[in-house]
Amino acid sequence: MEKFDVAIVGGGSAGLAALKQLANLGKQAVLLESGKAIGSKSISGGILYSKKPKHGKAYNVEDVYGQEFVTDAPLERPILKYILHATSNEKVYSIDLSAAHSYQTNYAYSVLMNKLNSWFAKQAGESAEKYGGGIIPGVHVQSVEWKDGITTIETNELDRFQVKAIIAADGVNSEIAELTGARAKFVPQELYQGAKVLIKLPEQIMEKRFNISESDGAAHLFSGDIAQGHIGGGFLYTNRDTISLGGVYHYDSLLGKVVEPYELINKLILNPMIREFIKDEVPQKEEIDKSLPKEEQLRIRFSVSKLIRTWQDLRQSYHSTSGTEALINSGKYKSREEILERLDLIRKDLNSKYGTKFITDYVELEYSAKLVPDGKRCRMKKPYHKNVLFIGDAAGRGIFVGPRIEGINVGVDDAVRAADSVSRSLDRNNLDYEYLGGFYAHSVDESPYTRDMKQIDKDYLKIFLSATKDVPKDIIGSRYSMIFKLMSSETFRGLAVGFANILGYDRLLPILESEETYNQVPIELAEKLGRRMTSDYRPSIPTIAERVAKLKYDDDTVSHIKVSKPTSEFMKKMVSLCPTRCYSIEDNQVVLQHEGCIECGTCAPETEWRHPRGEKGITYQYG
Amino acid sequence: MESSRLNVSVIIKLEPDFSEGNVSYNSDGTLNRAETKSILGPHSAVASMAALNTKIMYNADVSVGTMGPPIAEQALQQSQLICDADELHLYSDRIFAGADTLATAEVLRAGVDKMHGGVKSDIVFSGHRASDGETGQTGPQTAWKLGYTFFGNVIGFSVDLERRLARVTRLVPIQGLHDVIEELEAPLPIFITIHPSYKPVFTTVSQRLTFFKCQKEARDRSALYKNYLKTFTAQTLGVDPKLVGLPGSPTIVYRVEKIPRAKTSRMAEIVDGSKRDQIKAVAKKITDMVKVK
Repeated sequence: MEKFDVAIVGGGSAGLAALKQLANLGKQAVLLESGKAIGSKSISGGILYSKKPKHGKAYNVEDVYGQEFVTDAPLERPILKYILHATSNEKVYSIDLSAAHSYQTNYAYSVLMNKLNSWFAKQAGESAEKYGGGIIPGVHVQSVEWKDGITTIETNELDRFQVKAIIAADGVNSEIAELTGARAKFVPQELYQGAKVLIKLPEQIMEKRFNISESDGAAHLFSGDIAQGHIGGGFLYTNRDTISLGGVYHYDSLLGKVVEPYELINKLILNPMIREFIKDEVPQKEEIDKSLPKEEQLRIRFSVSKLIRTWQDLRQSYHSTSGTEALINSGKYKSREEILERLDLIRKDLNSKYGTKFITDYVELEYSAKLVPDGKRCRMKKPYHKNVLFIGDAAGRGIFVGPRIEGINVGVDDAVRAADSVSRSLDRNNLDYEYLGGFYAHSVDESPYTRDMKQIDKDYLKIFLSATKDVPKDIIGSRYSMIFKLMSSETFRGLAVGFANILGYDRLLPILESEETYNQVPIELAEKLGRRMTSDYRPSIPTIAERVAKLKYDDDTVSHIKVSKPTSEFMKKMVSLCPTRCYSIEDNQVVLQHEGCIECGTCAPETEWRHPRGEKGITYQYG
Repeated sequence: MESSRLNVSVIIKLEPDFSEGNVSYNSDGTLNRAETKSILGPHSAVASMAALNTKIMYNADVSVGTMGPPIAEQALQQSQLICDADELHLYSDRIFAGADTLATAEVLRAGVDKMHGGVKSDIVFSGHRASDGETGQTGPQTAWKLGYTFFGNVIGFSVDLERRLARVTRLVPIQGLHDVIEELEAPLPIFITIHPSYKPVFTTVSQRLTFFKCQKEARDRSALYKNYLKTFTAQTLGVDPKLVGLPGSPTIVYRVEKIPRAKTSRMAEIVDGSKRDQIKAVAKKITDMVKVK
């Protein structure tokens, strides 16, 4: 049997950081990823933070990958603006939270996970190779066995092999956690469900619309009626030439009032402010005359498609400085004006020859969804089991405090701590479970992120409150206005936070994360103080079937999910809550069609849930 | 150690890309070669994959060769991207033009003899056949000229390096029956034409890691493929001009018959309109059919 020092299960940003850090420490590690390629199963909201906490040390991406990260990695835009909008029908009341967003922050970038993880994989893979390790995609871990002090890993695809330690980075639906018995499956109270669509928008149009420059970006958060009575809200992040638009909602609240995840996105899209944010000029093909000969119909169809493609590509370049430069440098065009002339010409051609109209609409590229662990509630108190260390989502670690949403940076911090712990054990040749795991658990406990998951940060609260100081306190519910008034006083705030932290976060959460906070107060704010927004076009929102049809799958013949309770109330709710509508009811029994599954794990609490075998299942293009 | 290293050679072919959007036909239905893009033939790609397998399993030294015009370099580059070749050979000379399979085999034989610095190859791979002509005999003819044991339709192989012995599995089609899988053993050197269904499988962590490393190396190498490329003419190859090109080709093409288009036996109907209309129309057809029953 082959022997390796460390196995890392899962090639997301946390697993890759662990691989890179182990290589930085000169240790041998192999990373197993079930997707066809690294990044194919990774999605995020996505903002990636680098933090500088006042207390303790947070390990950031640049600590792992070096300063090249900031210069070389495929980052979308640095997010400098962070604005929260309270919505009610056409009315929007906005609060600038940029100060809270930049609190203890070195930088924050919008990212697309697939591209970013591929870059991480290149760095980590090349470093790992030097020590006899590397990345193996297309491999799904089936079981881990401990016998006579030897740990072996069994996969669907490879011969068994032996390792000294394992780092589990297999995400929120960690199979390693389940099959080792390290923790129970997460329950809906501990999770959020996030769903997102990626929308295309040319660079310079985006910059003008969001009032940003070539070298910055904006994040917009939404709460109020767009949440349709759920605890959570919407988000819109500007990427380089795409927009990430989605919602994150407490799973418990979704189960309470069942609503389709894509309907929540559609509600966002229909908000007039967002409609105006995402709108673009979109060609609409004219129906081809059926009386024409078949060959002619075919010729027209091909010509129109080709012209539209050319127009779109050229327009994309025209609205981007680098794109325009590339076109001019290639010698195809002499100036920006010439590109514009050509664009107009194609447009006229399309219109006059083929009747193509150019309408105001928006363009969706990719639909995705995932579960997000609420670190406040579900972080593993003991993040290890024997010689397996859990990191990131797999360990239930993520920060969700009001508008503060962080996950990738937490996973990277965990990864460094896990890699350091394993390296220490290997150096001292002491792989005693307590020596390895105990050290890791202690290190994780010392992480500033753990503190953020445990208690309220007084200083963050202060910044948040000062951002909302202009909100007239008498217009919002009496309970809230009292709290606001009290909190505005330094002494009271200090006392109250101190008292609250003694009382414990868990007891405060039901008060903080309530329908009142997420729905009633924002709706009231918008109603009474909001600006009226207008948008006079109707976005043509794709159906869920159309959204799923755009995704890329390699279907497995056997289902990776087994429905064990086909008549339970929970499973019946999956018919609506599954983001890709894989469930339906036949004869009062819930049946699954696994082919459209995007592996989010929404149905995992009451099913036998596995990741698909190697290379099978969804392959995201953007993430 | 170096002496016991496995020397693997691959002979490949540049072929027209028959995929949609790349292929172009003349009005009479014949291939428009000038307008059609050329790529590494699909069967040559499978042969390159087999060579990659030997690299990963036995750390083989891989050479790839092709006969063709200077543009055939592209095929060599694409093959290198697959098999991480250590050496590329292009056999290009005006006098090679008009060669039939036998004359081609003569060039390839001389080429294979020049590979690995003139050291004899242990395994030579070629594709099953070409996609632009029924010329599946080039491989066997080259094998015959080289005097190597020949295996066709091969779907799997392994090498015992110490005993210098190869074991191959091959498909034997038996008319009217299912294919039979035959397992054979032969001392090296051997010549293999690889079956299109061949797919290398790596089942250990080390093999996968090597695969990953080779893929990376192949990307780097093929980006600078010219550094690995050697071009030979009839003279530098040392072939007898009487045995290559048109003079070396005993085949005479007397006439090319056009294949008559087969009549379709089933009636197909095209359903037009919007997606909704199309689905409605199809659903109606089906319900009507069911009703009749």
